[in-house]
Amino acid sequence: MTLSLILLCILAALLELDTTYAFQLLLSRPIIAGPLFGWLTGDMAAGVQVGIFAELLFADVSPLGGIIPPSGVVASVISIILYAQGIDLYFGFFLGVIGAVLYSFFDALLRKTRFDWLIFLEKRIGRKPTDIKRIIAVALLLSFLMTFVFISVFAWGSSQLMFAVYPYISPKAHFAFRLAYLAVPWIGLAALIPAFRLKTR
Amino acid sequence: MTFWLRLNMFFRSFFLQAGWNYVKYQNLGFALVMMPFLRRLYQQDPDALPTVLNRYLEAFNTHPVMASFCFGAMARMEENIAQAKSVTEYKEQVAEWSGARRGLSITAASIGDRLFWGSLKPLTLLLAIFIWMLLGVKFFETPEQETVSWLYGFTAGAVAFFVYNTIALFVRWQGIKISYEANDSSCFGLTRFDWNRTIYNAKRIGIFFAVGLILFGVYRFFDGIRVDINFLARAVLVLFFVMISFITRRLRIPNVYLYIAAVITFNIVCFF
Repeated sequence: MTLSLILLCILAALLELDTTYAFQLLLSRPIIAGPLFGWLTGDMAAGVQVGIFAELLFADVSPLGGIIPPSGVVASVISIILYAQGIDLYFGFFLGVIGAVLYSFFDALLRKTRFDWLIFLEKRIGRKPTDIKRIIAVALLLSFLMTFVFISVFAWGSSQLMFAVYPYISPKAHFAFRLAYLAVPWIGLAALIPAFRLKTR
Repeated sequence: MTFWLRLNMFFRSFFLQAGWNYVKYQNLGFALVMMPFLRRLYQQDPDALPTVLNRYLEAFNTHPVMASFCFGAMARMEENIAQAKSVTEYKEQVAEWSGARRGLSITAASIGDRLFWGSLKPLTLLLAIFIWMLLGVKFFETPEQETVSWLYGFTAGAVAFFVYNTIALFVRWQGIKISYEANDSSCFGLTRFDWNRTIYNAKRIGIFFAVGLILFGVYRFFDGIRVDINFLARAVLVLFFVMISFITRRLRIPNVYLYIAAVITFNIVCFF
């Protein structure tokens, strides 16, 4: 991976913090992150499309309680990184979606293990309450680093995989992936209508 | 509560979920937000602070935006605890604080999930897509020959960002003040707003947008296409996915698995 793609992974890991751990201003929404990644890699149209598709595809899962939806940032950045390296967008998006689903499992694992060291740090807060700011900063830094490592490794791995198998992919498989990719907005839009059911009254 | 103290709590509230874990959820963030208030309240008795803080480090989970109602209410109740004249009164106040914290966090989470995740987020998504469509951005086809200017690319996302955050930041900021000044008879200020009507209206606008967008999308998607076998195949495909999506929604199967299933199915069909 080139330096610019590593910088893109750093930006994605920072944006991913906005999803849960800091701010929650929804800067991490794919409709914002996708165009940003697309603009940085020189193809705004691809960024907009990936942003819309990823957000529509994941719109039916909300972060209620302990549910972790697939990460829109991870899906967008993996798709755009692969596309920037010459892989067709429909393959990039598929791998991006797989990455986003895997990241949600990875994040769940992090949240489970985080308590083990937080319980130790909580005792420290009991002795010195002012340490809480430092503990929060460490928690954020660790979340950022783990996300960065995940995105970088997955982007690198999927790039290598695609470069290895790309020459052997048949036109039929291209057609099948493209067809499924173009069905994404319809799947998403159809799922949004029930989300607006007037059941509150 | 002074303006600067409220501002401090407001900024810290952005880190409420920084230490999110499956055992105590947002407890660390909750303690972080309340810290400036507690330090000011117990400045004459700094030795009491660690004991007080232990209560704030118990399990706490609510919606990150609506949590502001918990911060103000808990601050008001903490003042009552600090002013307790006897051990019995102190214990009563702590029990009341604990019950209110649990009840308020559940109520706020329920409202926040329905309003922000269930209505406002999908609504702003539809708004963004609608703006992109009006700007002529064609995203129903693969973008090999498509070019989009940076202004067009960012406009829709920026509008969605500002619409969502205008409401979210207003609730975050006002929630602290309203709940601090209110009492338990008004459910700590939660009854100040008609949440059900707001959610109902947001959903009504949402359904209007969603149906309009699908019709507009269908018109744009098929605009200029000749009615031939390809057109019919695409129309059938779109209808098929819309129907399947309704079914999977009823079965609570996430869209993402439907997409992965579509990729596998198409590959198998194309292979044979």
